[in-house]
Amino acid sequence: MAREASHDQVYRVISTAVDAAFYRTVYPDVAAAGVDPILHYDAEGWREGRDPAPWFSTRGYFAANPDVERADQNPLHHYLAAGRREGREIAASRHAVAYRAQRAQERVVPAWGFDPGRRPGPTLPGLSADILSSPASRAAVAAEFDAVFYLSLNSDVAEAGIDPLDHFLNLGWREGREPSADFSVADYLEMNPDVAQAGVNPLVHFALAGRAEGRSRKQNLGFRYQTLSKLQPVAERIARAKRAGEALSVDSPERLTAALSRSRSGLRDLHITLSHDDYSANVGGVQFCLQREGAGIAALGRDHLHLFPAVPWPTVRRAGQRAPMGALWNGERIGTFAGEAIAEALGQALAGVATGRRSLAIHSLLGHSSTEVLDILAAAEIEAGLFWLHDSASLCAGVHLMRNDVADCGAPPPQSPACSICIYGPYRQQQVAEHGRLFEALDLTVVAPSESALGFWGERTALRPSAAIVHPHAALAERGGAPQPANDAPLRVAFLGMPAAHKGWLAFRDVAQRFAGDPRYVFLHLATATDRGAPIEFHPVAVTQADPGAMRTALERLSVDVAVIWSLCRETFSFTAYETAAAGAMVLTNPDSGNVAAFVQSGSHGLVLPDEAALADLFATGEILELARARRSARLYDMIYSGLSADLLHEAPDA
Amino acid sequence: MKVLCYSSFTFSYLNRARALFTSVRRFHPDWELVALITDTPPEGFVFEPVNEPFDRVVYAQDLGIPDFQGWLFKHDVVEVCTAVKGPFIHQACQSGAEAVIYLDPDTALLSSLDPLVDWLGEHDVLLTPHLIDPNTDRAAILDNDLSASRTGIFNLGFVAVRTHGEGARFARWWNDRLLEFCYDDIPNGLFVDQRWCDHVPALFDKVKVIRDPGYNVASWNLSQRKVAIGKDGAITVNGSPLRFWHFTKLGPTGDTMTKKYAGQNYPVYEIWNWYKRQVTAFTDPAIPERYWAYDAFADGSKIEKAHRVLYRERADLQAAFPDPFSVEGGGYAAWLRAEGLRPA
Repeated sequence: MAREASHDQVYRVISTAVDAAFYRTVYPDVAAAGVDPILHYDAEGWREGRDPAPWFSTRGYFAANPDVERADQNPLHHYLAAGRREGREIAASRHAVAYRAQRAQERVVPAWGFDPGRRPGPTLPGLSADILSSPASRAAVAAEFDAVFYLSLNSDVAEAGIDPLDHFLNLGWREGREPSADFSVADYLEMNPDVAQAGVNPLVHFALAGRAEGRSRKQNLGFRYQTLSKLQPVAERIARAKRAGEALSVDSPERLTAALSRSRSGLRDLHITLSHDDYSANVGGVQFCLQREGAGIAALGRDHLHLFPAVPWPTVRRAGQRAPMGALWNGERIGTFAGEAIAEALGQALAGVATGRRSLAIHSLLGHSSTEVLDILAAAEIEAGLFWLHDSASLCAGVHLMRNDVADCGAPPPQSPACSICIYGPYRQQQVAEHGRLFEALDLTVVAPSESALGFWGERTALRPSAAIVHPHAALAERGGAPQPANDAPLRVAFLGMPAAHKGWLAFRDVAQRFAGDPRYVFLHLATATDRGAPIEFHPVAVTQADPGAMRTALERLSVDVAVIWSLCRETFSFTAYETAAAGAMVLTNPDSGNVAAFVQSGSHGLVLPDEAALADLFATGEILELARARRSARLYDMIYSGLSADLLHEAPDA
Repeated sequence: MKVLCYSSFTFSYLNRARALFTSVRRFHPDWELVALITDTPPEGFVFEPVNEPFDRVVYAQDLGIPDFQGWLFKHDVVEVCTAVKGPFIHQACQSGAEAVIYLDPDTALLSSLDPLVDWLGEHDVLLTPHLIDPNTDRAAILDNDLSASRTGIFNLGFVAVRTHGEGARFARWWNDRLLEFCYDDIPNGLFVDQRWCDHVPALFDKVKVIRDPGYNVASWNLSQRKVAIGKDGAITVNGSPLRFWHFTKLGPTGDTMTKKYAGQNYPVYEIWNWYKRQVTAFTDPAIPERYWAYDAFADGSKIEKAHRVLYRERADLQAAFPDPFSVEGGGYAAWLRAEGLRPA
């Protein structure tokens, strides 16, 4: 560790990473003084806020890691000796862009090899400096390097016209850039502490020594390992929500009372909805549903009060866990209120008003407390309502039923070994009990957007609804045949929506990375935002109430052949599966994806594959090419959207 | 069957022992759980056994080991925590229990050990081998098979005995050997208690070698064991229910070996993550990391392994300094300094 490292040790470690040419260029005073940049950086440079290499910002590291700054440690040494293994963030030097641009313009590519002015670092057995600099070794390293892969992931290198191998050998590996899909710099250094200690470029080590010694190119632990390594305990998530809630200022109940006076029905007819967020401010399937429901309620002439936790909350709140609640009144955000103040203000506003048609739809209880909800409903004299199954929050605090966020658990018995090792296990009973209090106190009809969702819930729940119905969010209506693209075009494979692990983004990214540069395929991401660092074309698409068909039209416009809808959790509906089919594209999914798999199996909408290995095989063998639009006659459909609860209130008796 | 289950540790492993005993109590609330501790509580830490997830504490100094201070000094922390397992199991055979089970503090139960109790109806000694399937990959052979050849065929993170017959005879023999030869001295054929147990199938009858993959799962046998978690909530290893895991080397070394052999078998990481959360939850910040009361001479200077080895090899030093920790009149520490051996 750095705190006890001698200057010699520090020198040895940082000498592999200080970019002398960069240092001399951006700090002419150092060049003029003729001092060794490594010694200068270690002795005073870092204290003066100078950067040792284009990829490392001294001030940036301190800003991200105040403990290192407090400990008065050389930040580059800390990062190389410990920080990178601890997953600490680094930022590029503020001089990097200008420096690289200048070098690129001058077509200066630093020679590969040890700077002769430097003291040699420790050498590993069979890996002397002589061997490292010979043309034969460069050829051996080049054989392990995938230039096409490197350039496809690093457009800055391609644009600068630098030889990709030179770039990797001199800078890229220190910046965490990978030399091929089969080799991981970080994994190699972690698995081989001797290589990390020696500061040798890991790919060079592997090509010249490691391969013969039986060392592996990468750990290949799979994306689920990555998810698990970042898994946050539920207690921490709740504590964070609590802190965020406490930091929020709360409006006075009078503001709520004032807002309620601007009424559609004189407060006679009132629809209350509960969900996990502000559907008017966020984008997503449930939010879109609530926008549709809100419009339907307006058309019915009822007032509409929507309540949600003002900060995202990971579970149903226990009694005593206080949090500020946001409120929308007839679609407008009217403020943030203390949870317990809402019932009182509502009760006062409704006092003396004749009770008309009053209704309730619970879309999510996350962030709500059963006590507060029951008080609010009592104030509004509501005793019955709809309970929507958008997710599995009524079965477990892990609302997606993703055990430890990596695999569908199937909601096994709470005492099972699986629940005992799951981060959500200790919260499950409480979560179900909070739902139970509402099911006991109210007359609730469960509404599922699919047969598959209702069937599964019915098998796993002990909650007793008064009725259960299926009401899909959308249906397909045939529109005609799709135009056929050219036969020889590469297969266009897309991921739709939020790039989240539980939605299957990491499985898709793995495939895209593995087949980057394969002329048979093009990978696309259609969403409001993407996750950089993968060879995937990003196309911004936002589905809103104003443009509900945005995804379908984008799929058609981009001539997407196949969408990988690899949800790791049970989808209760899946707009993206419907949108894919509507646009004439095919769905690839797995058996745990709930209604995605059910939808695919209900028609000829795609394939349900057993696992990620089967998905990769399909691309490797090229069998996936059979799903190209050019090889089948794709049909197009319109999507007919439901009005959710608004559709069901016609039939429901008035409360 | 009346079962006594014990574990041997120092206060720096109390967090792991708490995780172990909590898991044992969950599945076997009727077992008597005993903490065998070779240590004294650190200053500032209030040890209240009544609030711990075990029924009883036995301190090593109360086992009646002759010349306890001198005997203890001959061992490092791992050696002595292993050595005391022998005297305890021997004495436990006369305690009224019908079976005694030892579990290392860094093990934890994931389901019931009832099948073990059934086996003890027929067998007097149960042992779990490090490996139950040979490796075929060269790196795995180097890491695992050859390691087991050096350190012992059986992993002594677990042993179960009946308190009569061959079980009692084994306990007596183990007691005798461990009191005298429980050192980490692989060149001389010793690896604490483990190499001794290579002899067990030859020396005793009614020994069962457990070849069920659900027992004593650890990084050294993951290369041949695949963990699965079913939608029914069961955790299985090569199809058998997972009984207990040996979380050896909690930290970077354990992580590296686990990753090397678990690969993409992600339930392994789920189980490790759970264990790490348990240990974190059971950690008392009042216990300094790597604390051990017997780590220093009475004047506070640290005892090096070499000081212990020298003492155990020299009968004259043992005679001259029956309590080698003591610095009264200079003691062993002063002798070491006078001889040019530098205490740390």
